[in-house]
Amino acid sequence: MLKNYFKIAFRNLWRHRVFSFINIMGLTVGMTACLLIFLYVRFELSYDTFHPKADRIYRMVTDLKTPSETIHPSGPAWAVGPHLQFDLPEVEAFTRVNYDNLLVRKGDIKFNETGTIWADSAFFSIFNFPLLKGDVRTALVQPFSIVLSETAAKKYFGKQDPMGQTLLVTGEGKPALVTGVMKDMPENTLIKSDVVMSITTITQKFWKGLDDEWGSYGALTYVLLKPGTYAQTLQKKLPAFLEKWNGKEMRSSQMFPTLLLEPLKDVYLKSTRDDSKGNMMNVYVFSIIALFILVIACINFINLTTARASERAKEVGIRKVAGAVRSQLARQFIGESVIICLIAFLLTLGFSSLLLSSFNQLAGKIISTGIFSNISLLFLLLGIALIIGLLAGIYPAFILSAFKPIMVLKGRFATGAKGSILRKSLVITQFAISTALIIGTIIVYSQMKFMRSRDLGFNKDQVLVVETNGDNKRETLQKLVANLPNVKSTTLSGSVPGGGHQGAYSQVENAKGDLQIANLDLYFVDFDYIPLYDIKMAAGRPFDRTYKTDSNNAMILNEAAVKILGYSSPAQAIGRRFKQWGHEGQIIGVIKDFNYHSLQSPIKPLTMRMEWDRFRLLSVKVNPTNVQTTITAIEKLFRTTIPNRPFSYYFMDEFFDRQYRSEERFGRLFLNFAALAIFISCLGLLGLASYSTMQRTREIGIRKVMGASVSNIINLLSKEFLKLVIISFFIAAPVAWYFMNKWLLDFAYRTSISWWIFAAAGTLAVLIALLTISLQAFKAAIANPVKSLRTE
Amino acid sequence: MIELKHISKWYQVGGKPTFILKDINLTIKEGEFVSIMGPSGSGKSTLLHILGMLDDANEGEYHFMDQPVHSLKEKQRSQIYKQHVGFVFQAYHLIDELTVYENIETPLIYQNVKTNERKAMVADMIDRFNIVGKKDLFPTQLSGGQQQLVGIARALIAKPKLLLADEPTGNLNSKQGEEIMDLFKQLNKEGVTIIQVTHSEKNAGYGSHIINLLDGRIEQGN
Repeated sequence: MLKNYFKIAFRNLWRHRVFSFINIMGLTVGMTACLLIFLYVRFELSYDTFHPKADRIYRMVTDLKTPSETIHPSGPAWAVGPHLQFDLPEVEAFTRVNYDNLLVRKGDIKFNETGTIWADSAFFSIFNFPLLKGDVRTALVQPFSIVLSETAAKKYFGKQDPMGQTLLVTGEGKPALVTGVMKDMPENTLIKSDVVMSITTITQKFWKGLDDEWGSYGALTYVLLKPGTYAQTLQKKLPAFLEKWNGKEMRSSQMFPTLLLEPLKDVYLKSTRDDSKGNMMNVYVFSIIALFILVIACINFINLTTARASERAKEVGIRKVAGAVRSQLARQFIGESVIICLIAFLLTLGFSSLLLSSFNQLAGKIISTGIFSNISLLFLLLGIALIIGLLAGIYPAFILSAFKPIMVLKGRFATGAKGSILRKSLVITQFAISTALIIGTIIVYSQMKFMRSRDLGFNKDQVLVVETNGDNKRETLQKLVANLPNVKSTTLSGSVPGGGHQGAYSQVENAKGDLQIANLDLYFVDFDYIPLYDIKMAAGRPFDRTYKTDSNNAMILNEAAVKILGYSSPAQAIGRRFKQWGHEGQIIGVIKDFNYHSLQSPIKPLTMRMEWDRFRLLSVKVNPTNVQTTITAIEKLFRTTIPNRPFSYYFMDEFFDRQYRSEERFGRLFLNFAALAIFISCLGLLGLASYSTMQRTREIGIRKVMGASVSNIINLLSKEFLKLVIISFFIAAPVAWYFMNKWLLDFAYRTSISWWIFAAAGTLAVLIALLTISLQAFKAAIANPVKSLRTE
Repeated sequence: MIELKHISKWYQVGGKPTFILKDINLTIKEGEFVSIMGPSGSGKSTLLHILGMLDDANEGEYHFMDQPVHSLKEKQRSQIYKQHVGFVFQAYHLIDELTVYENIETPLIYQNVKTNERKAMVADMIDRFNIVGKKDLFPTQLSGGQQQLVGIARALIAKPKLLLADEPTGNLNSKQGEEIMDLFKQLNKEGVTIIQVTHSEKNAGYGSHIINLLDGRIEQGN
């Protein structure tokens, strides 16, 4: 019996090649998209789950309440980690993870290792980053101990054994001892770095006493809990812990921190802190898209199979006359659909292997190295394919096996109106999903365009930023660069828009005349910064060389800062007092708000001061002509002035836009999958249209004999499908509006969803559908009626 | 073997019943060769379908080999049908996707006959009908007469006691038709009860007696 089923299944597939192709193709494309999204989602969910102790590892974050606001520094105070162990028996170990750039040299080889980790000695025992060489317990104990990844080790030492060798680190070239070589950290960790240095280098050498510093925030702190202890228990003890060590200082500084524990596994997707790079929303969105695509593909399958039912009806009738009972026939049809799914599954494996590398590129990370590297995944997929086959096959099997042989064999059979209503609603579902995805894509893209073209309140064009790492020759370099022919102006600063900056404990006189305490963002800038970046003044004046006091006792605020101080206009803030990081003086000016972060976040209160030894970056406004020559000239000057450091630079506009890279990626993925959904829907529509035309051949023939023109016929055939597409639009529009509105709420500055987006999406859907249908309709319309009538 | 009592069949057209068969009483004994005749729309095919258990009557009793078919459940009816009835159609109704061999084999599959046994039975049948050379061809590669031969072979494969034929020669030329009718006569001699629907007096003449239908009633019979 099975053999018979297989035979007839394959012969059927072959005989109706076009339908089989559409069916298998649709399923393959759908399953491929699903598989890739599945790999992506699985990867996103896998962040930092590979540490065997992951369930016991928590990241400690802090909220800091000041009299002005509550802020969220990247980590708690430096002293928190070292003091945890004394007081709290729940804590088995801790490590702080501090990121900074590190200049590393060995002979002529020099790199600015961005994102170098400075960690406590327990780092390698808490996390699962295996050491190939060196001792997990001691590698990070001594100051100036450095652990390299395999890649970094190769970079500096080639084939030599790096253990026990020295590298020169920091601008001063301090010797550091290589105490370990670790396996390259995997892609799915938030802690990723190629170089790990002992944090004692900072706490014992650069900044002695930092381990007891309760007022300096920003040390990411991870704790490992003892087995069997609950995070809740620890969480409850933390306020008392802070009170014991920090209570007095909290009250005198008016800064009240709270400590919170985030499970390590949740940090990537669910942390509310700025540094969480993943986005649970994206995971949900793509999972839903995957499900949608699969649904669309299954709908195709069901539609095409039931539409062709009248063809299979004859076979059903004969088999029933030959003695088949319904369950036997149902089994046969389900079997056929499973076979189709299995073929699609095999094709899916092939396609996804081919597409994986470009998908990795699209996703911006290596989500998987190969489909076949994971056997259990393969079985899982096979199982899913079988289930799809079963699900997609059940309905058609149910319909087909129910045919009464007598009806069929008498030739009185016609596809029931019931089936056609179902088919219509399925087509509407497909196109509603597709149209919603089109609307979504347009909105994602218009938000991206909005972000790129919005006036940020400063000018980022033709500005080149050179990283000096705070080298003490930076002013010499500035003078030399300023003299280059194509350089318009230069400025030194500690921060540039879109990059990092300080947050400072500040006291500024407010509208009531008190010194208000706040933790304010802080930019260190020189005289030329405000004019070079074309930042507008709202009141007062910018820094000025003619005022001697500007270098030490002047501060500029932005409008947001003015607002939290309670002034009703910027001008009122001029001349008020301030204290910040050991400096005091007067407010000399207020700048208009400019977006120094991405448009996802609102503009925060900002202060600007001059402090010469905090300057790090050299911004150069260049002539747009011969930019390359100018860069070469700057590089030459850099190499002679600051020979110890690598030359690195970036363009301000690109640097700023890099913040939107993940949105861009999101947009591109969205676009691709929306296109796929449309494609699969159209495949289905093509199948249905060609089937419906085939069925109506005789009707078309008669109409033509009666004098119908080609366009009449096309109209006739297209109308019924277009109606469905239009209905689906009215379902899709409000749903898409609701969800995209939610998505946009993530952005502090967002585009408005205007009516033309819906109009465009609707028109696009209709056009695509029309194109698909009319191809078939046209073919039927130009056929010779005599031929079609004769076949009857 | 077959006994119909007061069999009626009607459709509702615009609220009023339109009779296709009205109060049919009929007895057919084992070994008979009956021809049902009558003009188009007289209810011949419907009667045949009811006899073949492919259709239900609205009213009346149907006894097949002393079993009350009209009150049996679908499953039991299909069991009787599978074992005892073979059907031959005017339009042959072969499965286009299956070869001659496989078409003939189909009923045996649904009766759960074992593979080896099936092979033997189909081989015998193919031998008997002289279509050995055609057993791997598909229906579309055969002439009408040959297709009908396959159709009959398929109807007989499960050794039914009753063979129902709905205008078996309707789509064939006269020579092919004669061959089929000779075959029927031969089968009847071997003990198969045959009921055929036909338009042609000549074909009806092959049978042992004729039932004439007009507007759903038996005009003259027995």
